[in-house]
Amino acid sequence: MERRRFLGRSVAGGLALGGAAALQGQRSNLPPAVTPTAYAVPKGEYNAYLTPDYHTYASDLVIERDQPGKPHQGKVLAAIQAHSDDITLFAAGTVAKLINEGYTGYLIRVSNDEKAGRTVGHGVVQNEIDNQEAAKALGCKKAYSFYYRNHRMDDCAMIEIRQRLMFLFRLLQVNTVFAMDPYDHYDENPDHIVVGKAVESASWMASPGGGHEYPEQLKAGLKHCQIRERYYHCRSPQGHNLVNRVVDISSYIDRKVRANVANKGKGPAGDNGMRLRQELARQGKKLPLLGNDDDTANFQYTKHFLMEDFRVLGKQFGLEYAETFRYIGQEPNLRQAVRKYVDGHAVPL
Amino acid sequence: MNRQNILGLMAAAAPADGGEVVVVKDERGQPHRGKVFAAVHAHLDDVPYYASGLCAKLMSEGYTGYIVRTSNDEKYGGRSTAQNILSNEEDHFRMAAALGFKDVFDFYYQNHEMNGISYLDLRGRLILIFRFLKVDTVLSFNPWGHGEDDSDHWVTGRAVDEACWMAGMPNDFHEHLDAGIQPHRVSERYYFCARPEQPFNRVVDIRSHLEKKIDAIVECKSRGDGNRGSLVRAQLAKQGKRLALLGNDDRTADRAYARQFLLDEDREHGKQHKLEFAERFYYIDQRRPAKSKAEEYIEKNAVRI
Repeated sequence: MERRRFLGRSVAGGLALGGAAALQGQRSNLPPAVTPTAYAVPKGEYNAYLTPDYHTYASDLVIERDQPGKPHQGKVLAAIQAHSDDITLFAAGTVAKLINEGYTGYLIRVSNDEKAGRTVGHGVVQNEIDNQEAAKALGCKKAYSFYYRNHRMDDCAMIEIRQRLMFLFRLLQVNTVFAMDPYDHYDENPDHIVVGKAVESASWMASPGGGHEYPEQLKAGLKHCQIRERYYHCRSPQGHNLVNRVVDISSYIDRKVRANVANKGKGPAGDNGMRLRQELARQGKKLPLLGNDDDTANFQYTKHFLMEDFRVLGKQFGLEYAETFRYIGQEPNLRQAVRKYVDGHAVPL
Repeated sequence: MNRQNILGLMAAAAPADGGEVVVVKDERGQPHRGKVFAAVHAHLDDVPYYASGLCAKLMSEGYTGYIVRTSNDEKYGGRSTAQNILSNEEDHFRMAAALGFKDVFDFYYQNHEMNGISYLDLRGRLILIFRFLKVDTVLSFNPWGHGEDDSDHWVTGRAVDEACWMAGMPNDFHEHLDAGIQPHRVSERYYFCARPEQPFNRVVDIRSHLEKKIDAIVECKSRGDGNRGSLVRAQLAKQGKRLALLGNDDRTADRAYARQFLLDEDREHGKQHKLEFAERFYYIDQRRPAKSKAEEYIEKNAVRI
């Protein structure tokens, strides 16, 4: 997520209700005989631009809802992000949900986020702290940072990033990954694209199916892992991807809010509630929504103004809040299928 | 190793511009017991020609040795590219076994194309290996050696050079620590003297390890002329001739050929120091004293308040 862009749009629209509403109400000039292949995503009243402009929906779209108990006990997920606010903005509800349902979670940040901060030095320190705090808010066991230079990752050796991800996937025995969709159309940020592609290839190469990849990691005591599930999220506003999974995050919206509030150095949440409250106080005013202390102000600001897009998105599917993904599940196992056929059809000689 | 360059090398006298030259002879017993070295070369025949005498010497004196080959050697072997990769792979295992290496690592970067690979990927892999094997000493190409026309050599040497010190830095690949793999700095380096103009400051007497060196060279069949003796023997037989030097079987022929024709460089290097056979290296010792000067000063001069 790019803070300046968010602020720029907010200011230009003046948290402008009219612009967004007008856009959504715009009549389509698509001829009646033409079926649309992408759907404009309705925006919230405050138009925080946290959901993409368009979605392309798959015909077998599934809504993933809360599961009772701990069905994922023993499984491990890694949420990989280029920047400290990527997972928190676009996938935090689902990550928190899966952790609550038994997953052990790890948060991996690939850049150093140096472009967001008073100075480069202050920026990297604050974002380093934020990444740790966001991980805690999500319930992750640990956060990692690779510290590649922010906005310059198209100049990095992607194969080295992949090597490091494979090392972590094998070390942590990851089963499920979250990342920015490597096929997210019109994404302007090179860091997103590099990380998405590195995750995509590392996911299968870290498994036995990856063949003889980095055998020295295995000699060092690591083991192949089996990554069977991938949740690819889009970025917003300009990106859009194929969506085949909508996750009901209603029970985890407060966790998502907390994770975003933890991002002080980057992203649209952080201390913005506190700042607004202070600004109003200087004018002799207050907003009841923001409560009587900074923590409440940050929480309420984030939930009311920023999560609105996810509420509107969820409403389309009859949910209070939702996140969307291109989900890739376990691939069919040919050997098992053949074995099943043989078991069912083999006859005595 | 490039055979054409070997021939060139034999004709030239290597200048010793690496500082004072120290002649290293065999040490008694196992003075290096508990220490580990990694020989990192690009091609099957690099270590056998440039450093197999030293490798054998170090292992006989207590070192545990590991060998890392960075390229896939696909351009050599005289068969298809795929068959060359396989035959070099098999030769490499046999050569490593002949010298007594404990384990073999093959990275299989594309032969002659290594200046196009991600150098960071290579360096990262070496850092992991240096750390988990706790490598004390490396043998590899001199990253600053002049006249190096093989990009696989200088890319490998440069990556080794940097990996040696970065392996000791906890913030490089910090995720290794979570796997229980601790930072470990490589403190001694022996750089090959691979081209005539490259510097050296160590001349290693390899006379007592010559048979091991021949063992290694004769396994370099896909590249490195390891089977040249048997090929010559077969060619002569077709012409109804034989060479007494090559004996009556292929194994004898290969060893005899190597001894007679492939060790001239080592003979030449030895002659200048009154040794029968010698290998040359540019040696860098970065071992640190148990206590620094500052620590010694503090210990000596600190008084009670």
